[in-house]
This record gives sequence, structure tokens and C-alpha cells, in this order.
Amino acid sequence: MSSDKRLVGRRALRPAWPVNTARVFRRRRWPFTKRSVLRLTGQYNPKTLKREMVLVDKKPLFWVGGLAALFLIPAIGGNERFLALFGIVCIYAAINVMWTLIIGTAGLQSFATLATVGVGAYGAAYTSITYGVSWPIMLVIGLVLGGGLGFLISLPARRLDGLYYALLTLGLSEFCRNFVTQSEALGGKFNGALFGVPRIVPSDLLTSRAGQTLAFATTFVLLLLALAVFRWINGGRIGLMLKTAATSKEDEAFASAIGIDFNRARTWVFIVASAALGFIGAFYAAYIGGTSLQVFSLDLLLLMLAMIVIGGLGRAEGAVIGTVIVVFITQWFVDWGPWRIILVGVLALLSVLYTRNGIFGLKDQLREIRQRRQALHRAAITSRYAEFLPQQAPDIHDKSVIVGRVFERNLREQLRAWITPEVIAEHQAKPMGQHTDHLERILNYFRKAPIPDKYVVYCVEPFAAYRVVALSGIPGVPPRIVDDRVYPSLDEAYHAVFLRRVNDLRSS
Amino acid sequence: MATISITGYTDKVSVAPGEEVCFQVSVENSATADFEIVRLIHGDEHPDGPGFMEEVLPSSISGSHPVRKQFVDTGNAIVVEDPSGKLAPNGPLTIWGYVFPTTPTKGRQVLLGRFSLSETAGYALGLTAEGRLAFWVGDGTDTDEIVSDITLVHHTWYFVAASYDPSSGRAILHHEAVINPYNGRLGRVAPFDHTSSVEQKLRVRPTTPSSPFMWAAAQNSAPVRGDFKDFVFNGKIDRSGVIGSALSLDEVAQLRAGERVGPAIAEWDTTEGYGPDGIDDIVRDVSGSGLDGQGIQRPVRAMTGYNWSGKHDDWRVAPGEYGGIAFHDDAVMDCGWEPTVTWRVPEGTRSGVYAARIKAGETEDHVVFFIRPTAPTAPILYLMPTNSYLAYANEMIVHHVPVGQAIGSHPAVLEDREADYYQDPRYGRSTYDHWTDGAGVCYSSWKRPILNIRPKWRSSAIGTVWQLPRDLSLIAWLDRYEYDYDVATDHDLATNPDLLKGYQVILTGSHPEYWSEQGLNDLEDYIAEGGRLMYLGGNGFYWVVSYRDGEPEFMEVRKGEAGMRAWQSEPGEYYHQTSAERGGIWRNRARPPQKLTGVGFTTQGFDECHPYHRMPDSYHKSVSWIFDGVEGEVFGDFGLALGGAAGLETERYDLELGTPPHTRLLASSTSWSDNYATVTEDILFNHPGMLGTQSPTVRADMTYFTAANDGGVFSTGSIAWMSALPCFGFENNVSQIMKNVLDAFKKPGSLPGGAWNQEEKSWT
Repeated sequence: MSSDKRLVGRRALRPAWPVNTARVFRRRRWPFTKRSVLRLTGQYNPKTLKREMVLVDKKPLFWVGGLAALFLIPAIGGNERFLALFGIVCIYAAINVMWTLIIGTAGLQSFATLATVGVGAYGAAYTSITYGVSWPIMLVIGLVLGGGLGFLISLPARRLDGLYYALLTLGLSEFCRNFVTQSEALGGKFNGALFGVPRIVPSDLLTSRAGQTLAFATTFVLLLLALAVFRWINGGRIGLMLKTAATSKEDEAFASAIGIDFNRARTWVFIVASAALGFIGAFYAAYIGGTSLQVFSLDLLLLMLAMIVIGGLGRAEGAVIGTVIVVFITQWFVDWGPWRIILVGVLALLSVLYTRNGIFGLKDQLREIRQRRQALHRAAITSRYAEFLPQQAPDIHDKSVIVGRVFERNLREQLRAWITPEVIAEHQAKPMGQHTDHLERILNYFRKAPIPDKYVVYCVEPFAAYRVVALSGIPGVPPRIVDDRVYPSLDEAYHAVFLRRVNDLRSS
Repeated sequence: MATISITGYTDKVSVAPGEEVCFQVSVENSATADFEIVRLIHGDEHPDGPGFMEEVLPSSISGSHPVRKQFVDTGNAIVVEDPSGKLAPNGPLTIWGYVFPTTPTKGRQVLLGRFSLSETAGYALGLTAEGRLAFWVGDGTDTDEIVSDITLVHHTWYFVAASYDPSSGRAILHHEAVINPYNGRLGRVAPFDHTSSVEQKLRVRPTTPSSPFMWAAAQNSAPVRGDFKDFVFNGKIDRSGVIGSALSLDEVAQLRAGERVGPAIAEWDTTEGYGPDGIDDIVRDVSGSGLDGQGIQRPVRAMTGYNWSGKHDDWRVAPGEYGGIAFHDDAVMDCGWEPTVTWRVPEGTRSGVYAARIKAGETEDHVVFFIRPTAPTAPILYLMPTNSYLAYANEMIVHHVPVGQAIGSHPAVLEDREADYYQDPRYGRSTYDHWTDGAGVCYSSWKRPILNIRPKWRSSAIGTVWQLPRDLSLIAWLDRYEYDYDVATDHDLATNPDLLKGYQVILTGSHPEYWSEQGLNDLEDYIAEGGRLMYLGGNGFYWVVSYRDGEPEFMEVRKGEAGMRAWQSEPGEYYHQTSAERGGIWRNRARPPQKLTGVGFTTQGFDECHPYHRMPDSYHKSVSWIFDGVEGEVFGDFGLALGGAAGLETERYDLELGTPPHTRLLASSTSWSDNYATVTEDILFNHPGMLGTQSPTVRADMTYFTAANDGGVFSTGSIAWMSALPCFGFENNVSQIMKNVLDAFKKPGSLPGGAWNQEEKSWT
């Protein structure tokens, strides 16, 4: 037997620990939800039948660990540049998480993300400069503007599909950029730079380390808020509904058929995400004390697209990790010059070419590759021996299936040797009644076969027309019609069944 | 246009002239259907016979009637009516019970509770789709649940409890196994630790649904269909209760120990109510609240409970150990359909086998019933074996028994109606099938559409007609030779013990296999007092059945530890719920069929049927009159059933089993194929040589014996016998033998062959 561990694969690592059943298991829930804090479940260890507790979903641990690292690394060990960099990471990640909501959850190919952020930022900055409103009001203004814009952009989404919608929304950024350039009130003459907005963390504090950490902390809170919104929408009822209509036109038709108004759900998700993006824009303006035309630029948009693609489309964790990677490459290694952009491009290209869904899709992808290789390996061996392998046995609940296969193989080998033209002729001459010993044993084997795919005769018209069908073995699933031949008598139909069974026996 | 389907049933098995019969019919995709009353004459379409024959009777219901689709609410439950609202979820409560899940992972199931799925309201203790214990609450819009951390193991008894306090939202769920060496699938050596206690806050406060408290089901509702049961449980439930306070885990432990804890709202003792005749469908509340429950679709009782000690295998000895009630999600005893058409049978209508022939478009169905005479009108009574019809009602062996084709000794032959029915077997099953959890079906009922109590129906497993359509061949034969005869059923015998007394001769069906004790007693009395029986079938007088008084449509069968059987009752569950009798074969209750008829079941096979050979006894003048007009030694080498009069299921003469010693062995058929096997009750050690080519008991015997007061019994010992009658235009040697015997039997006075002549005297 092969000792090549690589080919056999391994079980998924699920942390499990013994349980004292005399103690009460207190299941805790997240506040205000019906969700358990950790998805724990009991099981009987398949080897020993001992009770154990298993952590079914490890993701909450990764999230807590990942977010803690994202906060603590810059907060404890970082210098000013590091803090600023992570501030940008958090803001971009928040934007990407919302974008993921639009592309992944709602399934809308919208590129109006940065335009929405920009509108929020310019709107909030303008009102702040003109009317002197404080930053909390700015955030509300951003929220309202983003939501309103989202509503407007969602209108054509009902009509336009995929590429056309993408082009339209891409054009929106360009429109906004031109609008700002033309508009005097929005700093058109300073090439769109609109500064002088009071910051959340006052400028005088930013010179101190504490102030810089505080400013970073606000961006971190922003990211947490974005993730909360993502969780609320994507993990909620509306997200479930949209998953039904997620991947194709057929899915959409199916979703409509079962009463899901996916257009309405999409619009709702789009408006919520846009409002959040407007909010992020306003936050951005209040964070850096103003805004500039860079927010509408195509290169930033493409860079953010690269972040999402590298991380894995449709997943919040993908959006965050992708952002961390790309922002680090572009902002930390500034002295690499244009090579940074090429590196990001290559990473995005590799992700598209070789992964199914970015970094976070890799795990499933690798598991499937492993399973495929495992199956191929087993198939190669089973076809040689027609039995189960030791490594298959743990998956077979009823072990009598295993020995049954051994018996079956020996019997079939014997019966195959007995199938001769004489035996077939004997059956054809008289399908019923006593036969010679070999034929009788062959028939007994055939007749005792398990129900799934067992041949039976189907009566089209009594005493006139019969066909051969195979039972499904599943209540509710009709028999399968094996061919379109019609036999005028029962004896001929019986013989047709016999020939099919002989054929199956020979070809196995 | 969508396919029209028609089916239905009658409210009773048989009616007498002057009485009413009600047709309960469901038709899909047609608003009207044409009704005719027909008398059924021949039911086998085999080309060697006359084909299907019916006679239309002018009737008051002849013509078109409005029809509609009717639904079936399948599955068992116990419904607890609660007019005073004691079981409404108003305050803290604890719900507890002993349960034995058999399919814990089939999908959500309710054990005990009051929950309406369509209203999303109520509370229930149940099982999740993965088989974990759960307690659900619903407030009209939202639901919440507390779920155990471990799955329940099937065929194992558990004590389960959930306590809930709405003021704090705190819920506790607890289960532990109750295992002794006898009461479950696994013993204590399997090192499962079945105990779990979970605590959690629920975020939803239950509101009261409009549905009642139920065991084993929740209520659901749909437009058109209306209310129906959902989340139906498979398994057993024993003693259970509801307590009006939220018990702590310590108090739950006291409850498990058998102590009374907290204010009981209801305490159901499932062992209450056993009497000398069995037990009814009422589950009694012993708390004093008067919350008795009513079983729906006949849950199976007289089943072992969580505390079954294994010391007694009979509920009559230890009723306290028989609290188990088995529930099945596919059980159907009464479809409860709205009456479609009611017909008053006019006075003077001849008795016979009748049907409402219902047609719509191209589709047609015959809803069969029987008309019995108010008083005997002829010397001959054809006693239709309706017990046996019920036993096979909606049989589907070939679909789920892998060895079905080995028993049938050829590939099964399916027809449309059967293939369709198996896709949605909503009219219940036969006593040859299993419920979805694998338990044998021990109840059958008339009050549902029955696909195979129909003319023309051919058994898929056997490849010939079976039961009613074969028995119609005798009707056609009686009509052909213009005999005056009455028709009655096993069901009439059950309600009228004097039924047989007015007749010179009783004719049986081809396969009168299922008999109640009272029916057997009546027949035995009849013969012993001078009656005459023509037993024209095989494998008769075999299984024990029982009915409850006043419910003649619901038949109970428990298959014991012997007999050619599709399943076997679980240990300790051999005793009938409806009669306190031991179920199984009559032979194991010291009444082998040989004692009554001279012959008893000996083999079955379905590849070929064979002719009989006359045996030397038949030439004796005391019986040779039976063969008047029969040429040669061989007879019955033809037939609509696989080409012979001897075969399918056959009987043998056996002095050891009580064949009367003066019985004549008239004819026999032997040397059959290996597809005819020795019956299991004849096997002690199984060994090679038990099949047709090697075993001398694989055969069919035809016997005759006389009884006191000019009584007599003629037995053909073969199911296929009746199917040989219609061959060659009913003119054949089988038909000749039948005429000889019937002509002699229907005449009062002494039987032929009684007076010996000089030649015979020299024989011995």
C-alpha cells in the first residue's frame, strides 16, 4: 500500500476537547441577537464514541486575532508614518468592505464607490467650510448624500446589466471630477483641493504620539463600523435572500419563482452601502481636514479593485487583507517607484489567473485539489482490486458493506465464468421455471440485487407491450427508462432484463 | 391538459339492500366525473380468459357529479383538546417525557408541544434536522430555540425535559438515556454518554397558537388544503407531562427519579387503560386536569416502554412496562374525505361484488364494495376474504424489498398506477410493507383508496392478478353455470356470527390468509355442525388478525416469530392492541390450517404453475364422484396464473399438523422448481435441500373429508386453482371438478359416496 501521505490528504482540523456531561453547558449569545458567541457543538468521537465539544466555526477567533493585530501593532509599536499608514489601511478597508457588499452581496458591478465617497467628502467639507458645522454633523451630511446618490445610481441598475452598468458607474467618477474642477465653491481653482475642515482629532494634538494613536483609533472604529454593517446586511435575512439570486440569470429566475424580490433587496443593499460610503467620505474629510480630486481618480479606483481581487471577492476578510497588502506595497515601499504598481498588478493578475476567489478562496481550492487527487488515487487502486482501501474504511459506517463487497467480487467472478452462449440461449428459450444449476445461480444473484437501479419490467399495455425500466430506490423518484425498445410478451421482456444484467455483470 | 387522476373508497366494506353506501372520492384536474354502479364479474385480463367483465346497474346515482381533489393528513399524533387553555404558554413551564426516536435525523420532528407553523406561534419540544433535542418557541412573527449539544441515538430510550421561564427568558434542556439490556437497539457496552444539560436565554416569548397541544406533530396550514400535521415524529413516546413551573436541573433529576415535582398541568400515563380486550386510542391524563389525548391515525400501542424489563413479553402480564406508543409519519387509517356521492342500495339488489365506476376524461377507477343479502337467498355463500384484501392493501414490496424479485422468481412487472403511487404513497401501506422508520406496518384500513382492491390489478411482484381480481374468476364461473349464490365478506362474518348458518356450502376466495379468532370459530362450528366448505385457495387460515368493536374497517396484524413474513414484531410486541391476543400464525397458536381444512401452507413460488395428478385415494367410490367427467390422471395443466392450477402458494396434507385422519388425498402436484421454497415454519435447522427439486413438502395437495351431520370439506390447496376456471370458455376439467363438488355440496342431505357398494367392500 502506498505510504505517500500527500496523496491521501488530511481531515479538516477542528478543535475538539472532552466534555464533562455532569456539568451544564451554558450557551451564551451575542447581545441583542440569537447568535451564539462561539459555534460549539457536541459530537461522539467516531473512534471511541467519547463525547467531545467541537468548535465548528473558527472564523470568530481569526477575526478577533486579526483585528487585534491590526489595532495593536501600530498602536503599540508604530511610529508616525506607521500610524498614518494604518489609518489609510483602515479607511480603504472600510471602503472596500462596503464595495464588497455591493459587488458580492448585491451582485451589482458598480464602480461608483469612490464617486460616492467623494460626494460625501466634498459635500461634508463644503458645508463645514461654508457653514462651520462640526464633524458629527459632517458625518450625518455624508451619510445622507451617500444614501441619496446611492438611490440615484441604483435606478439604472434595474435596466442595465453587467458591463454597461460598470461603464456607467465608472463614468460617474469622471463626471464628479469634472464637476469639481468647474465648480468654484468646491475649490475648482485650486484643482479641487478643499481644505480647512476642522478635524476629528484637532491638528494641534496630531503632533503628539497620543494624538496620532487617537486619530488611528478613529479609523479603526470606522472599520469596525463598516464590518458591523457588512455583517448586518450580508449575514442577515437580506443577504440570505440575495445568495439565492447570486450567480446567474437562472438563479435570478429561480429566486423570483420562489417569491424573492431580489431587485428590491439589491436596491436596499446598494442604498445602505452607499450611505455608508458617503459617511466614510465625510469621515475622510474630517480625518485629513479636507479633500482633494484624488478621490475621483481612476488609478485609485483600480488600485482598490486590485485590493478586493487579491483578497477574494465577496468576503469581508478578503477586502481587509487585500487592502493591507496593497496599501503596504504602495505606501510603505515608496522608494520602489513604479515597480510597486507593477507588483500590485502582477499580484492581481496571479489572483485572477490561478485562484478561484483570491487569498481567502485558496483554502477551499486547495481542499478540492486534495480531494480530487485523493479520489483519483483511490480510483486507480480500487479499479485494480475492486475493494475498499484501509483509508476509506473509516468513512464507511456499516462495515458489512466492506465484506459484502469481497463476497460480491468473488461471486461475480464465478458467475461471469458461467455466462456462456448456451446459458443465454437456455434463458431465452424459457425465462421462468427450473433451469440448469449455473443459470439458476446467476438468476438468483440478479434477483437479489439491491433496489437502486434494479431492472423491472414496465407494462405499457397488458399482454401486448412491455419495456425495461430501472427502479430509483428512492420514494418519490420515478423509475428510469433504460431504452425505448418495446417487447410484445413478458417472456421477451424478462429476457431483455436478463441480457442487461448479464451485460452489467460482464462490464463490471 | 393536466392528467386526470381518480381514486376513492367507500365508508363501509359491505352493505345490504336498503342501506346506504357513501363514496368518498378525490379527482384531480376535473370538476365533474361520471358515476355508474357496476357489478363486477371477471377481473383478470389474461388473454386465455374472458377478460374484464362488468355489468352496469341502473342506479339513482348514475350520471355526472361534482368532484374535487381531497387531501390526506398522513401521520400519527395524539391531540389533546384543551378548551380551558391550561396548556397555553402563559407562564413558566416544564415539559418532559420518555422518547425513543427511530429516525432522529429525518428532519425536524415534534415530540410534545403546541406549535403552529403557519402561525409561527407556540412552544414545542422536538428534534432538529440533525437529531438534537430542541425546545422551540414562537411569538407569531419570530421563533427561538434552545438546542442540545449532542445528537440522540436512534432506537434508544431517552428521558427528555425542557424548562422555560418567560420572565427571565431562561431555558434549560436536559436529556439522558434510559438503557437496560432489553429496551433498545444498543446495550450499555456501547460507550455513548447520552447525557446533556444546556442552559440558554431565549429572546422570544411564546404566544398561544390556535392549534391544540399535540404529541408527535406540529400543526401547519396551507391554502386549499387547510390544516395538516407537520414535523411528524417517527418513534415511540412513553409517559410524559407538562408542569406549571420552570424546574431547575436538580428538580428535573427528581422528576426523572420518579418524584412528583412542581404543579402538574398534565401528566399522561400511557400505561393506563389496558383491559381484557386491549387498549383504546386515548392517552389518559392522571394529573386531574382532564387533559386526555386522542390518538390520530391509530398510533400503535401495546409496545414496550422505556422501563421494559424483558422479563415479560406480554403487556397483559406487565402493563406498566408497556407505555410505549409508536408514531409513524406515513400512517394512514382514515383519509376522512368528504362524501362525494351516497347511494341507497335498492331492495332486491342481488348480492355480489360491486363498484362505483368513476370516469373523467380518459381516466377511470373502480371503487369496490360488496353487497350482502339481508337474509340467505341461495344455498351457496361465497365468503370474500376481505381481511386478506386489507392485509395486501397498497402493497409495494418490489419497491423496497431487495429480495422481492427472488421471492417472485422473475423481474417485477410494474404498471403506471403503481409506479405513480410509489412516488407519493399518501394512502398508507399494507401489512407487507414498512413504515418510513423500518417498523413493520401492523395496521391496515378500508377507509382510504386501495389501489389493488380493484378489478384488472396485477401484482407487480407476482406477475399475475392477486386476491380480488382472481376471486372474481369464481364469480364469473358461478354466473356462467347459473348457480344461485350469495356474496358476503369476512367483515360480515365479524358482525354476524350466524352468517354461515343459513347456507349449505361456503366457498372461500383464492387466498383467505388472514382470520380473526371469531371468524375461525364460526367456520369451525359451521363445519362441525354439518356445514360444507369448499376451500378453493392456498395459504389460508394462516395469520391472526383482530378488530376493535365498532371499528370493523381497521385491522391489526402482528407478525410473530414464524411464518412467511415481510417483517417481524419487535421482541415483546407480539400481543395485539385491539384484542389482547398473541399475533402471528395460527399454527403457532395450535390451530394449523390442516385442523380445519385438511391442508395447510407448505410452499410458495411464482415462476410456474403445474397440473395436479390424481392420487390413488381419488378412485375410491366414496370420492370418485368428484372426478366424474374428468379424463386421465392429470388435470389443471392450464390457467391464467402461470399456466397451471397448482401453484403460487400451496398447501399440504399433514397428519402431524392435524389433518383429520380420514382425509382423502385426492390429487397432488409435486416435483417443482427450486423457486418454490419450504415455508419457514417448517424449518428448524436450515440446510441444503429445502427447495422444490429436493424437498418433498414442496407440493400442492387436494383433499376431501367428511364431517358430522353430512358436513364436508373439499380443499384444492392452491391459489392458482381459481385462475384455471375461466380457461377454454369455462369448460375444462378444473371446472368439471368444481361442478361435481358444488352440485353435491349445495344439496341438503347426505353426500354422495356415503353408501358403499359391493366392489368397494372388497377393497379393504
